[in-house]
Amino acid sequence: MIALQHISKWYNIGGKPNFVLKDINLNIQEGEFLSIMGPSGSGKSTLLNIIGMLDLPNEGRYDFFGQSVYDMKEKHRQDLYKKNIGFIFQAYHLIDELNVYENIETPLLYQNVKSSERKAMVGDMLDRFNIVGKKDLFPSQLSGGQQQLVGIARALIAKPRLLLADEPTGNLNSKQGEEIMQLFKQLNEEEGITIIQVTHSEKNAEYGSRKIDLLDGRIQQHIKENISL
Amino acid sequence: MFFHNLKIAFRNLAKQKVLSFINISGLSIGLGCFVLFLLFAVHEFTYDRFHQNAANIYRVAEWIQTPERQGGDAFGGTPLGPAIKADFSDVKAYARIQAGFDDKFVRVNNDVTRSKISFADPQLFKMFSFKTIAGDAFTALNDKQTVVLTKEKAIQLFGRTDVVGSRVDIKMGEQYEPFVVGAVTEDIPSNSSIRYSILGSYAYLMASDMGRQSDGNWHMTIGSETYLLLDSKSNLAQDAGRLAQFRRSHMPGEEEELKKMGVWDGKGPFPVRFLLQPLKDVHTNPAIGGPSDTIDPKIIWILIAIASAILIIACINFTTIAIGRSSARAKEVGIKKVTGSRRGQLIGQFLTESILLSVFAVILGCVLAMLLLPFFNQLAGRELHFSFSQFPQLLWLLLALTLLTGLFAGIYPAFVLSSFRPIEAIKNKIRLGGSNLFTKSLVSFQFVLSIVLIISTLVLLQQLKFLRTQNIGFQKENVLVVDADGTDAKKIYPLFRQMVLSNTAFAGISASEMGMGEGKGLMGTGFQYEGETKGVIMYPVDAGFLKTMKMQLLAGRDFNPELTTDTVDAIIANEALLKDFGLTLSTAVGAELKERRFGDQLISRRIIGVVRNFNYASLKQEVRPQMFFQPPQLQPTKFYIRLRSGDPSTALAFLQAAWKKLAPEFPLRYSFLDEDMNRFYVFEERWSRVAGWAGGICIFLACLGLFGLAALTAVNRTKEIGIRKVLGASVSSIVTLLSKDFLKLVLIAFVIASPLAWLLMHKFLQEYAYRISIGWWVFILTGVVALLVAFVTIGSQALKSAVANPAKNLRTE
Ligand SMILES: Nc1ncnc2c1ncn2[C@@H]1O[C@H](COP(=O)(O)OP(=O)(O)OP(=O)(O)O)[C@@H](O)[C@H]1O
Ligand SMILES: [Mg+2]
Repeated sequence: MIALQHISKWYNIGGKPNFVLKDINLNIQEGEFLSIMGPSGSGKSTLLNIIGMLDLPNEGRYDFFGQSVYDMKEKHRQDLYKKNIGFIFQAYHLIDELNVYENIETPLLYQNVKSSERKAMVGDMLDRFNIVGKKDLFPSQLSGGQQQLVGIARALIAKPRLLLADEPTGNLNSKQGEEIMQLFKQLNEEEGITIIQVTHSEKNAEYGSRKIDLLDGRIQQHIKENISL
Repeated sequence: MFFHNLKIAFRNLAKQKVLSFINISGLSIGLGCFVLFLLFAVHEFTYDRFHQNAANIYRVAEWIQTPERQGGDAFGGTPLGPAIKADFSDVKAYARIQAGFDDKFVRVNNDVTRSKISFADPQLFKMFSFKTIAGDAFTALNDKQTVVLTKEKAIQLFGRTDVVGSRVDIKMGEQYEPFVVGAVTEDIPSNSSIRYSILGSYAYLMASDMGRQSDGNWHMTIGSETYLLLDSKSNLAQDAGRLAQFRRSHMPGEEEELKKMGVWDGKGPFPVRFLLQPLKDVHTNPAIGGPSDTIDPKIIWILIAIASAILIIACINFTTIAIGRSSARAKEVGIKKVTGSRRGQLIGQFLTESILLSVFAVILGCVLAMLLLPFFNQLAGRELHFSFSQFPQLLWLLLALTLLTGLFAGIYPAFVLSSFRPIEAIKNKIRLGGSNLFTKSLVSFQFVLSIVLIISTLVLLQQLKFLRTQNIGFQKENVLVVDADGTDAKKIYPLFRQMVLSNTAFAGISASEMGMGEGKGLMGTGFQYEGETKGVIMYPVDAGFLKTMKMQLLAGRDFNPELTTDTVDAIIANEALLKDFGLTLSTAVGAELKERRFGDQLISRRIIGVVRNFNYASLKQEVRPQMFFQPPQLQPTKFYIRLRSGDPSTALAFLQAAWKKLAPEFPLRYSFLDEDMNRFYVFEERWSRVAGWAGGICIFLACLGLFGLAALTAVNRTKEIGIRKVLGASVSSIVTLLSKDFLKLVLIAFVIASPLAWLLMHKFLQEYAYRISIGWWVFILTGVVALLVAFVTIGSQALKSAVANPAKNLRTE
């Protein structure tokens, strides 16, 4: 599904390149649940953003379903992104001016889904995450865990095949975090959604099917059964 | 999607109450002003276009083109209309109209009022689209003793409009003559050059002494205009050849005469010609004089420019505040991009917001404009109404204005905000905070406009004050002018004079045959001295005129009522006349001038006195050579009465009573000379007020925007301020920190605006023969005021954040 070859990213600091990612090679199959770990500043978020097409590397090649991402037109890449990728953030990042219902609905607006269909889809999501009663509330009126549920619902509404999560439980207590992880596992196993998460917690990483460690921009070791290589 | 955008827009408006208020109120004020000026411009530019035949109606004007003078006037002779119709088959109709010049006494059921009487050919109502509401105006004007009234006049005279057949007595010359109301027309639209309230038949005019004299006389005018209706295919207006031929055939001796006078050398184009002026051009072409007001289109455009400046300042507020708020919106932009929004969609969203705002602002602005309309009318000297039926074009102009304002205010923030990279935006790394170069320049630009307007206002006011207080050679204060025109003034004056002089409230009384304060109706002729001929303006006055007006005699003596010879040839000249003829104070008294009369007749005049230069006209012009003389049979039309200073009310009551005793059938009409003379400066007064208001509004709006920006900066830098305070910064150092950057912008604006304003006003003042020099203090004053106002605006915000509890601020971050 995803093939990264010789991906490098650097920032010029004081005239010298400062590598954030260095020659990353990584293959991810559809249906995997990958955890990316590593110390702070090691480049985890950067890597995830590159996979999520929100950021560009300075060097390297990226194939998504066999198509070279950096050779395609911007519009095409946008479409690919819209159809296939859902993002979840540590800080939830909901739009403060929109209520729960409207926040979840947003991605559908950009995919020109008909209004009646949107209603049904958002309704499904609300049901599924048990937040029907909260649909008229605004983000500021929700707890952190509830906000993250809305964030996940929003990431899933457009039925993506790849879910990217950057420390999704970072702002939650352990019980809330566990629930989210359970949910991920379920999504991965029952619906076959590919998930890539960045996490600091070994325990959370265990939910995944594979784990990689980043250190100073390099992949350190491959743990657990090595399906892809 | 559109509703989604609207939803966000509404919630953003509601959330940011202070900023929304600044945005909406600022834009509303800007738009309100713009709408008023727009209405004014539309009004002026649509003059006379309501006539169905407007495109084919022309006014005959005479254009004079010599090296010294070029210009036209629309007062043609009475034979012109009939002759042009007879000579050209493509002239379908003509109508002559004499606008009422002086007020005549009008009597209805023994109530006497004064009103101007106009006269016109009946064809007027065939050619033009004035609507009749009672009777038939066309047939009415075929009858000599019939008049047409406007609705307003009919109501004023009779209290109703169904007055066809009623009798109106009008005092023509010595006595009242009976007229019958033949028709009543709708009131004349405010944007019409042709105006009347009582319209008599041209046939009546032609039967009068003056009319009979002018009949067949191509060289005389009785002050009437000639309008033509041309066939739509006619090229007469463009065909100079045919018009020249027409002129030659009716004024055969003209070429010879002009050659003899040395005006024309027989070569080159003939200096005088007829010209057909399109009706649509009548109001906006000041080069051709006529009875109605004209306006230079340049002035309309300058007004539009001033209004645009105000609107631009309001739009800039929106832009800078939107940029200042960008960090607050960045997260939203980031999330939307992450969830799949394209840039175009985001631009659409932000533009929707600004257009929504502009819709609100236009609605509020229109309400504001309607409330301010009476005040604006007073300022502009017009009677404008918000009437979509009179100005259907206002509707789409307003729509376009709404859209343009929204686009103009919103386009830059829309592009900037939508360009944020999602990751940075989400992480709140965007910190424009109103401090990018472009928004800084915009803020400076606002203050440049404001400062230029304010400096201009101050200079205008100074010039106006200078014009009013300039020594004009006599004391215009405390002089009351009685308008006795049309009364039995010759009989009334001596008796009235007696009564006034018997009362100690009055310091003197005199009379003149001509008005002076209004600056029109001058009498003048050529005078010859030592072979040289010069034009001189003459004032026929009563003895004692100089004393009453407190004019200063520099040499010789005043008129002496005891000496009958003084009514024969004595004149009193002013300094300008002396200078023109090369006389000095010592040689002038006793000098003999020859006055040119009709034909080649010369009459001897002797200078008995010299007065200090005086000026009845606007000080725009140099003082001209002028003289007083005392006619043997004075026909007074104006009485000049000098009051002793103090409360004039008892003196006025006395005059009223005296007048009533002498001329009970006429109402007393009077004015104060200083007020009359201030009318010369209506233009300057109007302009200084318009510029003053515009400047005030500009600086208010600019400060409003500054206030918003300061508030935003304070919010954006809350954390920094908190940390600085924890580290021990004083309140004043924080206020300085926050205010410094803004004040620098105002200072830069001042530096740019000062030379601009100086150039502008320097150029403007060149039009005045008597003018002030622009003082440097005007600039200093404006600069200090602008800085002070800006400082108070920003400082209040800075102080607020400087005294806030730092611990609290840091926690919220
Ligand atoms: N705009 C930038 N300019 C320079 N360096 C940057 C920039 N953005 C990120 N970096 C650097 O890139 C490195 C990787 O950042 P990244 O956010 O990917 O780390 P991370 O592994 O996600 O850390 P954390 O666990 O703290 O989230 C960091 O050392 C950071 O300093
Ligand atoms: Mg990170």
